[in-house]
Formats: sequence, structure tokens, C-alpha cells
Amino acid sequence: MNRKQTDLAKRLVLNLFIIALALGMLYPILWLLGASFKPSNRIFTEVSIWPSVATLDNYREGWRGIGIVGFDTFFKNSFVICILSALANAIFCSLTAFAFARLKFKGKNLWFALMMITLMLPSHVTTIPRYIMFRRMGWINTFLPIVVPKFFATDAFFIFLLVQFIRGLPRDIDESATIDGCSKFGIYTRIIMPLTVPALITTLLFSFLWTWDDFFNQLLYLTSPNKYTVPMGLRLFLDSSGMSSWGPMFAMSVLSLIPAFILFFSLQKYFVRGIATTGIKG
Amino acid sequence: MKKTMMVLALITLGALVLFGAGTKETKAADSDVTTIRWAYWGSGQRVEISQKAIDIYQSRHPNIRVNPEVSGGAGDHFVKVDTQLAGGNGPDIIQVGGNIPDYADVLLDFFPHAGKEINLSVIDPSAIDSGTIAGRLVGISTGVNMPALVYNKSLVERIGAPLPKTAMSYAEFKEYLRVLKGKLPAGIYPMQDIGVLSSNSTPFGYWSRYNGTPLYDAATMSTDVRPADGQRYLELFAEYRREGLVPPADIAAGYAENNADTSMVIAGKAVIGFLWTNMLSGYQAATTDELAFIELPGAAETNALWQPPSQFYAVNKDSKNIAETVKFIDFLVNDPEAAFVLGSDRGTPASSTARAAGSASPADQKVIDYMNVAGPHSSAETDHVPNDTEFNSTLYLIYQRVAFGQITPAQGGQQIYELLLRMIGK
Amino acid sequence: MMNLSKKRRLQENLGSYMFLVPWLIGFFLLTLYPMGYSLYLSFTRFNIRTPPQWIGLNNYLVMFKGTETLSRDERFLNSMWVTFRFVFISVPVKLVFALVVAMLMNKKLRLIGLYRALYYIPTLLGGSVAIAVLWRRLFASDGLLNMILHTIFGLTNLPAWISNPTYALYTLILLAVWQFGSPMIIFLAGLQQIPREYYEASAVDGAGPIRQFFAITLPSLSPIIFFNFVMQMISAFQSFTQAFIVSGGSGGPLDSTMFYSLYLYIKGFGFSEMGYASAMAWVLLIIIAVLTAISFKSSGTLVSYGSGE
Repeated sequence: MNRKQTDLAKRLVLNLFIIALALGMLYPILWLLGASFKPSNRIFTEVSIWPSVATLDNYREGWRGIGIVGFDTFFKNSFVICILSALANAIFCSLTAFAFARLKFKGKNLWFALMMITLMLPSHVTTIPRYIMFRRMGWINTFLPIVVPKFFATDAFFIFLLVQFIRGLPRDIDESATIDGCSKFGIYTRIIMPLTVPALITTLLFSFLWTWDDFFNQLLYLTSPNKYTVPMGLRLFLDSSGMSSWGPMFAMSVLSLIPAFILFFSLQKYFVRGIATTGIKG
Repeated sequence: MKKTMMVLALITLGALVLFGAGTKETKAADSDVTTIRWAYWGSGQRVEISQKAIDIYQSRHPNIRVNPEVSGGAGDHFVKVDTQLAGGNGPDIIQVGGNIPDYADVLLDFFPHAGKEINLSVIDPSAIDSGTIAGRLVGISTGVNMPALVYNKSLVERIGAPLPKTAMSYAEFKEYLRVLKGKLPAGIYPMQDIGVLSSNSTPFGYWSRYNGTPLYDAATMSTDVRPADGQRYLELFAEYRREGLVPPADIAAGYAENNADTSMVIAGKAVIGFLWTNMLSGYQAATTDELAFIELPGAAETNALWQPPSQFYAVNKDSKNIAETVKFIDFLVNDPEAAFVLGSDRGTPASSTARAAGSASPADQKVIDYMNVAGPHSSAETDHVPNDTEFNSTLYLIYQRVAFGQITPAQGGQQIYELLLRMIGK
Repeated sequence: MMNLSKKRRLQENLGSYMFLVPWLIGFFLLTLYPMGYSLYLSFTRFNIRTPPQWIGLNNYLVMFKGTETLSRDERFLNSMWVTFRFVFISVPVKLVFALVVAMLMNKKLRLIGLYRALYYIPTLLGGSVAIAVLWRRLFASDGLLNMILHTIFGLTNLPAWISNPTYALYTLILLAVWQFGSPMIIFLAGLQQIPREYYEASAVDGAGPIRQFFAITLPSLSPIIFFNFVMQMISAFQSFTQAFIVSGGSGGPLDSTMFYSLYLYIKGFGFSEMGYASAMAWVLLIIIAVLTAISFKSSGTLVSYGSGE
């Protein structure tokens, strides 16, 4: 076999391996997809993935939501919350991360430690005091309790993430920029931010996804059905008294995955393009 | 770059302001519209019919708005309501269930409103009783529910076994299970192990009533149950397990039995399982096999069954619109039009005027038929053990320890007794 | 002279603090009060519906020793044990998978974009109820895994993995590892920051892929590896959603999947013992803080920052 053929064979095996593993990981999702096309009374009684009787009813019925409010509203609400949160996080967490990673100031270690500590307290116990606080501000039944904290960099996860990325960048580019008369803010916007695009995109993506999935806070703060989000809509299909609509729930779960999937697909080129390597030379 | 960043930041801030303004509830511009907040749990069908009832009421009373605050499951509902109460922001109508004693302190007493905003005279006395705690009527029953055993009729016919009698004694019941076992293929069991129910206090509560030693008496704050009673209960199921009449512990535990998707009967792996009557239509919709009811064994001899309220409509003591809220509840419970749209979704109505409206589906008919047989085999409900949630959760744990062979039924009986004392004393 | 440099340092500090202002506001207004309140609650008995009652160290005593009126909380200690096992098994395995797959995904294969998306899908499913249903489908006594083991390998008498106290936790560990997408993405992003020139230069010097991995990839990636390790550990200790939905909120069977956060939730919202739950939260915080501090201290030797810090 000549060189080209062995290369091709290697590539083929690699591709097959990746696909096989991916399929193994995907079986549960395929089951979900299949279930969404099965009538409700067959979902748990049939074993195979493929529907014996396929139907679009689940999608039609599911979309209507809970009758008074449909999934078009739920999706709109989810999008608004998630996009605002993602943008706010990207901007304000990176500002904060820049300070921790690059700037000198008194008390830096103390603040950094405190920031890390905010990550370590299980969120369920701050539920009630936060609720009381937001209620005093009159923010119940609005998106504010969910979105506004992001404008104040309360998601320490992303601060820490960006800190680690920024620390990996050589300091001399900062220094040369300062010598050229660049302000701190200028270094932040013109030098550091472009070089941490992969981390920023990661922040945007995860912010979006995690806000989307943050069922608990949405449950607490959004009380009118016309403000409900997609996860709340999904939970509404499951009634603890046994009157569950499994078919529509699975159908809407599939739809709920689609924005996340599209977002991931379109953003992924940003964390695999070699942007970071430009500008380091010279 | 700097410019784009600034613009981006401004845009997001602007969007925030816009949304903040737009989504903030505009303080009631029309001050003569009273808004009532109704928090309940449910989904799909229940939300639609509740909304229909709301629409009827709102068309009759244009100055009233009812805002439903729906949560999917009871769990979510109580977490939300509790947090709201802690924040001083509880809803006007709070739906509660068997845990009503835990909420009695924050609920309104209906008795002072009798004859004025609400008509109590047409409601069954037993329903009124069940909502009365320490002399205060804190919850109006939404309807009656009964414990039952559900079985897969189609499966029984398929294996060529005889259909079960609706009322059987424990001896007859065991015999029937053995008959089923003889005809069933491997992997399918005659009955699900009742102990895997997360609300374990229901079957155990039945057992205690059957034995004449009820779980709890609120008046004396004591229990008649002794360790030996718990032991016999655990041994009964241990025996079933040994004979293969119920599945081994780990298979049984794979079905949480709180919904059609976690039901062993629906999955076709068991013939008989436990079910509350108002869940029948949901379960029937999840399978193409036909389901039907039988009584828990021994009910006929001892009248051990009971007709608990399915849920309660309760009013937040600190509600700002008490009169209007109570009137709305009167509508939900007594009005024939409301009763017709609400059906037996939250239980079969306990109000005579509501029952007069009649109801619709075949599943509902089965429920009524069952109640006609089982109703006479019931007696007054036992008081709920305080700290309901913790009692159920720990009872479940004890049962599992015995089922998995970690402790003996004797030790289990002792632990159940201690648990009861602890819950009462808390 | 002294005055001028002091003034400059003040200006320097002020300028830096400007960047920190949003976070500072958030910390003092939105975070400190709830955290402080929860600390206060940990010394009270609070059933949510009535005001909290001060009981001092009682909650903490019940957790570890027991008091005259209440015996030691065995379910609490069990939940700690369950959680520790979960953390120390799932985190390393998950990270290894994430790193290996990230390196695989970093190549230029056709359809690589699709593959990456496919590997990320499990993470997208997150804590949805569908997961619980699916996991039961796979690991129940008559689930897919047993079907495969029986028909292909001829094994019999297989346990019901997901409802057997001995194995149930492992199904959850598997679920956590299956959702390695997030650290994988972060590793991918990190791999991008390594200048390609390093690899090219070392290839010229005759270094093979293994040498390159240990000499270039690992050191350059070490800040990211450290980040993923610390964050995965912190979030694994607080793991709640998956255990909640797979066990149906029970932590069963036999409390074998009763994660610390799940028990906390049940105690707080289920049994209405919010004071006790708050005490549990602070105990966990201390444990996590200590472990994180240890990680940071020992990272000095292991983590190399390109900026020469």
C-alpha cells in the first residue's frame, strides 16, 4: 500500500471510530426523537426506537402549550432572557476578569477569593433571601431578577474562566501597548479581548444554554403564564396526578434542543479558528 | 473596536430598560378591577378546564380578574408557594393536598364566611370535616378521591386468567395472585410492590385501619400503631416477595409509581398496581390496554377504605381580597356550570349542587362505578400524621431497607413505630 | 518624592477598581446579603411559614454528633459519602474524556463540525426530564443494557442497575461523564491558544506526537486544565438536577443516590427545615473552599502561565 492509501485508511478508521462512539452517545437522543413521533399511549409500552404508528399530533398539540399560552410565547420569552444574559455576561465578566488577570490593585487576592467563594454556596439556600430582596424591589413577575444580576458579573464561573485564559497570554503585549500610550481600557478592548475570542464565545454559548435551563429561578420569579419560558412549559406537561402528556412533552423537548444546537453549530468555528495566534508575532 | 463595544453595551442597557419597563406590572390602572391570584398544580387538560371556569366567572363578574399561577407538579408548586409566603407575597388561593395541617396556620377560616360569601350547606359533611383543623375550616374539598387497586384487564384476558372480584378478603386476594402467577410468563408479576410508592403512608395507613389501629388521632396526638403492626405489614410483603407474587426489590424500585411513565402496570410488567381514582383517565390514556378497578383486600369486612378529598382550595390568611376570593371558591365548588367544565379532574365533587351537573367520560364512569361499591366500604378518614412529607419519605426508606434485606421486618416495625412518635412530637 | 509615588499608586488602584465596579456592586447588593442571611438561618429553626427561631449550633450538632433530643443524622452522613464518591470518580474520568475527545476534534477532518455537535448533544439535554426517562430505558432491569448483555454475551441474572442500591450511583456517574461536552469545549478553546508555531518548530526538531503532547500541549493547556478541574469539582459537589430527576426526587433506592444537594433540598423545601438546610449549605461551602484552596496552593508547581507569572 502506498503512502496515500495508508493515510486514507487511517482517516477512514478514525472517522468510523468517531461515528461509532457518537452513535453510542446518541442512542438516548434518537429514542427521544422517535418517542416524539409516537402516540402517547405507545411511548412506554413499545420498546423499539422506531414508531410503529408515526404521528405529528404531538408536535401540533404540544405547540399549543397549555391552551391559554402556547410555545411561541415560551420560546420568545426564553430567547429574550437568554440573549440578554449572554451578552451581559460576556461584557461584564470579561471586564472583571481583565481586572483580576492583568491589573494591580490593593486587595486583589481578597476579592478574588471572595469571588471564588460565591461559587461554592449551594444556591437553594439563597433562594428565600433573594426572593425577599427582589420582592422589595418590585421585580417579581418580571425578567429582571434573572437578567439584571448578569449585568453585575454575578456568574463567577465566567470570570474565573476568562481570568485563566487571559493569564495565558504573554504580558509583553500589554507592556508594549502601554509604552505606546494605550490606556487600561484600550488594552482591554484592543489587545486582550480580540485574543480571548474563543473564551468569550464560550461564555456567550454557555451563558445562553445555562440561562435557558435555569428552571428553578424561572419558576420562582415568573408567575404569569404569558411570561413562562420553555422549560416551564415543558414541566407543565407533567402533572403529578398522572394526567401527563408525554407525547407533546417529548415533541417540545426536541424543539427546545434546536436553538441550542443551532447556536452551538454556528458558534463553534470561533473556538476552533486560530484567531488567538495572530498578533503574537512581532 | 472600542466604539463597537460601547455601542453594544449601550444597546444591551437600553434593551434592559425597555424590557424592565415593559414587563413591570403596570400598577392597576383601573383601580376597580380586583385581581385574584390562584396558584395550583396541573397540566394540559387541567389548565384548559380551569381556564374555562375562570372565563365563565370573569364574564359574569367583569370587575374581577383571576390570574392562574400554574406549576407542573405538586413539588414545584409547594416550593414556589413556600418561597412566596416567606417573602410575604403568597397567592390568594393556595391549592393544598394532604399536607393541609402543615399550612393551617397561614390559611383563612371559612366558617365566618358561611352563608355570606360561600354556601357550605350543600357540601357533604365529611368533606367539611376533612378540611377542618382545630375547629377552623381551612380548606374546601375540591372533590373526592379514593384509593384503589388498578389492574390490566386486557392482560388478564390475554393470559386466560379469570377476572378478579371487586371485593376480596386477604386470603382470597393471595389466592388470586397465585392463580395469576401460574399463568404469567417470566418477567411479568402479578402485583407491583406497593412499598415503592413514595407516599408510603397510604398503603400502610390502609393496613392500620384494616387492623383497627389507625395511624394518628389528632385529638389525643397519639398513634395506636405498635411495632408489631409495622412488622406484620412488612412480613406480608416479604412473603409476597418470596413467592414471586411481587417483584424483587431492585426491579420493583425501578418503577417510582408516581405517574403513568413510572408505572409497572402501564409498562406491562405487572397486572395489579395501586392507583388513586382520579388518576385513572391519565393512566388509561397512556396505554392501549383496558384498565379497571378492584378494592384493596379486606375493605368489605372492615370498612377500612376512606374518601379523602383529592385536594383543597385554601385561602391565604393575608390575602388582600378575601371576600372576592371566597366568592370565587364558592363558584368553583358549588356552581353547576363550573362543575360541568371541571369534571372530576380534581376529584368527584363533594357538593350536591355540583354533582347535579353530571359528567362526561367513560373513565369517569368507571370511577363512579367503583365509588358506588367502595363508598359503602369506607369510614371516616384518619387524621393525617403531622410532617407528612418527612413521614412518607422515611417510611419509604424503612420499607426499602426491609425489601433489600438490610434489616428484618421486626426491626422495620420498630423503626416505623419510632418514626411515628418522632413525627408526632416534632 | 514620596507623595508623588503614593499618588500614582492611588491613581493606579482607582483606575483598576473602575473595572471592578460592576462586580463589586453585584457582590455587595446581590450576593452578600443572601449569603449572610443564609448563614444566619443556619443557626435557626425555620419552617418557612413562620419566622425563624434561634437555636444556636443545634443544626450543626445534629449533623455530626446528635443532641439529647435528636440522634445523629445518618442520612446526612450518607449523603456526604455518596457525594464524595461521585466527585472523586466522575470528575477525573470526565476530564480525561473531555481532553481526549477535544484533541480528536481539533483535527481537520471532514464533517468535523458535525462530529463536535454530536458529542455536545448529551450536554444539551442537561437536566431535562427526558434524561430521566431515557436513563431508565437504558439501565432498568429490562433496559437496553441488559438486553445487549443478555443477547450478545449471554449473561443472565442481571441486576436492575438503576434501581439497585449497589449500582444506582454508577448510572449517575455515567450520566455525568456522558455529559462531558462543556469541559470539552473549554479544552478546545484552550487548544486554540497554543501557537501552531510551537508544534511546527518541535516537529522540525524531530519530536513525535507523544513528546509534543507532554512538552507543548500539556504545559500550555495547564491553566485550562486547572480551571476545568476546579470548576468540575465545585459543581460536582453541588450536583443536584440529575440525581433529582433520575431518582424521582427520592435519592433512592435506599438513599444510594441521595446527593448532598438533594438531601439539602429535601430538608429545606420538602421537610420545611430551611435552617438545617442552610447549615448544610455552609458545611459544604467550607469543604469546597478548603479543597479549592489546596488546589490553588498546589497548582503553583503544576500550572504554567504563558505570561511568565
